[in-house]
Amino acid sequence: MSAIYLDYAATTPVDPGVVEAMLPYFRDTFGNPSSIHSFGQQARSAVEDAREKLASFLGAKPAEIIFTSGGTESNNFAIKGIAGANRKKGNHIIASAIEHHAVMEPCHFLEREGFEVTFLPVDAQGLVDAHDVAKAMTGRTVLVSIMHANNEIGTLQPVTEIGKITRERGVCFHTDAVQTFGHMPFTVDELNVDLLSLSAHKLYGPKGVGALYIRQGTRLEPHMHGGEQEGKRRASTHNVPGIVGLAKAVELAEKVMAEEEIRITALRNRMIRGIFDRIDRVRLNGHPAKRLANNVNISIDYCEGEAMILSLDLMGIACSTGSACSSTSVEPSHVLRAIGLSVEETRGSLRFSLGRDTQEQEIDRVLEVLPRIVKRLRAMSPAYRSSATGKGTGG
Amino acid sequence: MKDKVVIAISGGVDSSVAALLLKEQGHEVVGITMCLGVAAEEGGHTKCCGPREIEDARRVCQMLEIPHYVMDFSGDLEEYIVKPFIEEYERGRTPNPCVACNRYIKFGTLLDKVAALGFDFIATGHYAKIEGMGGRSILARSREARKDQTYFLHAIKRETLGRIRFPLADLMKEEVRQIARKHRLPVSDKQESQDICFIPDEGYGAFLRSRSIDVKPGEFVDKKGNILGKHRGFALYTMGQRARLGGWSGDPLYVLGIDARKNRVVIGGKADLMAPGLVAERVNLLVDDLTERCVAKIRYAHRGAACRVTLDGGLLRVVFDEPQEAITPGQYVVLYDGGIVLGGGIIREVLN
Repeated sequence: MSAIYLDYAATTPVDPGVVEAMLPYFRDTFGNPSSIHSFGQQARSAVEDAREKLASFLGAKPAEIIFTSGGTESNNFAIKGIAGANRKKGNHIIASAIEHHAVMEPCHFLEREGFEVTFLPVDAQGLVDAHDVAKAMTGRTVLVSIMHANNEIGTLQPVTEIGKITRERGVCFHTDAVQTFGHMPFTVDELNVDLLSLSAHKLYGPKGVGALYIRQGTRLEPHMHGGEQEGKRRASTHNVPGIVGLAKAVELAEKVMAEEEIRITALRNRMIRGIFDRIDRVRLNGHPAKRLANNVNISIDYCEGEAMILSLDLMGIACSTGSACSSTSVEPSHVLRAIGLSVEETRGSLRFSLGRDTQEQEIDRVLEVLPRIVKRLRAMSPAYRSSATGKGTGG
Repeated sequence: MKDKVVIAISGGVDSSVAALLLKEQGHEVVGITMCLGVAAEEGGHTKCCGPREIEDARRVCQMLEIPHYVMDFSGDLEEYIVKPFIEEYERGRTPNPCVACNRYIKFGTLLDKVAALGFDFIATGHYAKIEGMGGRSILARSREARKDQTYFLHAIKRETLGRIRFPLADLMKEEVRQIARKHRLPVSDKQESQDICFIPDEGYGAFLRSRSIDVKPGEFVDKKGNILGKHRGFALYTMGQRARLGGWSGDPLYVLGIDARKNRVVIGGKADLMAPGLVAERVNLLVDDLTERCVAKIRYAHRGAACRVTLDGGLLRVVFDEPQEAITPGQYVVLYDGGIVLGGGIIREVLN
């Protein structure tokens, strides 16, 4: 069996249709959209077509879409841009404790610049309470940033409800929708958001391109200074093939989104049920129902995520864990910590994220391989051997 | 025979060549780099285990087409190495963390993880040799005598020897470099790391202070307790080290001992550094029986000296044929019979 990829939340393969759509913009229509001549005009036209496509998908106006280099830039732009434009009005920001690093770190940066950031706790399923948002607001609050769905545990936040509150109080509301954009239907008005970050590569589009939706009338400090691109708010020569690819990915997503959500949800449930049937002492992280269709995040007692992920990879199965050693740091996942897992428990976590190419037999293969790995690792674990032989918690 | 081997690859030339040799021998090889969580901030020094080194290890494994993973050992480093290291320092001893790292981490927790992954052997780029003798494995010196690292390996548990591979056992350092160059490994001209990985460039003092250890000036005294001057903090001194005393014009002075409780450093002439023997504790044996006559090394750079040893009640008593210089409590004594490593222990006291 060929390798099984179950890490779509990290990135997705580019759809062949997207590649096809991008190709002419490398050599044929290669002009700089800012140029006056016909080469430039053709490229400009492609960028504006893409903007319209994206806007209509989000229920927004084309002028409200700013192209960026991806989710991280969109989040940085939104948070630092709002903070910078509202220095006189206030210096307080509200975010959740489980935001992506691309939101957490700009917030920490602003803390060093004199801003105050309230990181709202989440419950054991990873949900933010909209009432907590209301309670945390002060006269100096300039921004609320709550992600649409969490990238690790898949929990969907009550963004619409939070948006109602921020709207009543006249506070700007940003959501990081990198994990949901193009995977589930929504418009910016349904979500009641003023700013929304998205990325192409989680959506079978290319890496290095994304966008920020900015509701008309929302003032942001420009974040790249240079030419006059994107209404002078984000200078930089347009990544034309990337932008075209993003629009094409959206077009394809529109077609398959509804049925894919159903298909992938069924596979996800098959996987979760299968794991609980075959492995004891396992726990599902995140909300059982309010969760991304493609997310399976589990903690397995007496098994290190690191050892499981290596064993799975050696067997040709790719997934991720809540605390892996990257090149520099070994921080346990702040998301798993925030939903109440101990540092030890975060070490035993695994995230599988399913996608368009995921097939039932791949899920079944995981269900065959994973229990064997768990058994082997537990056999080597002194803690497991000395533990009581009690049955699973919630299995 | 094709074995399943994990190579502990640091990003240096030795472990990279070891990986290459294993691959060439046809084994199923996986590279693992230990992340010890001691990475310096940006712009800092590069040592083993830093981000640069991990990248180098990854590049080498990609070239060799073997899987590569980074595994977290930061918790183990703190528990098994750094904490005891600090405790030893506080007692005025000079510890050797690399010996403990080999025992508890590389050939301890890493070996456990290797087994859990379903691999049979662990290999490293150490200059040392494992030999079979009467159905049992023994640890022996490498062909490259100047680089031999058995001193640092003597404390590994005997039962693990059979699961260890040292692919560089019969190679000279220059040959290793040549192999690296021939195969264009990106690490072929790298400098060797000599320092202890968790000690920053700023030195021991900075490290101990960062761990809230009080490094405060105290007194230099002679053997009789007469105060001779001021030192910078006892933790910054080790036995045999030259002691610099303002205004001193006599014969060179050396550190003879450290009294942690009184924050005193005892100094004296070179002759006073000589001692006839030592007693070591926490003895680790790699053979069934010790031979009474053998050769002992009292630090890595020590040439080794003929001695008589006795083991009694877990304590190893070593009496040298000739007195030795600067026998240092906290360092290890390692015993050899020819090329074979018999075992060793941690020096507890110096005999008079």
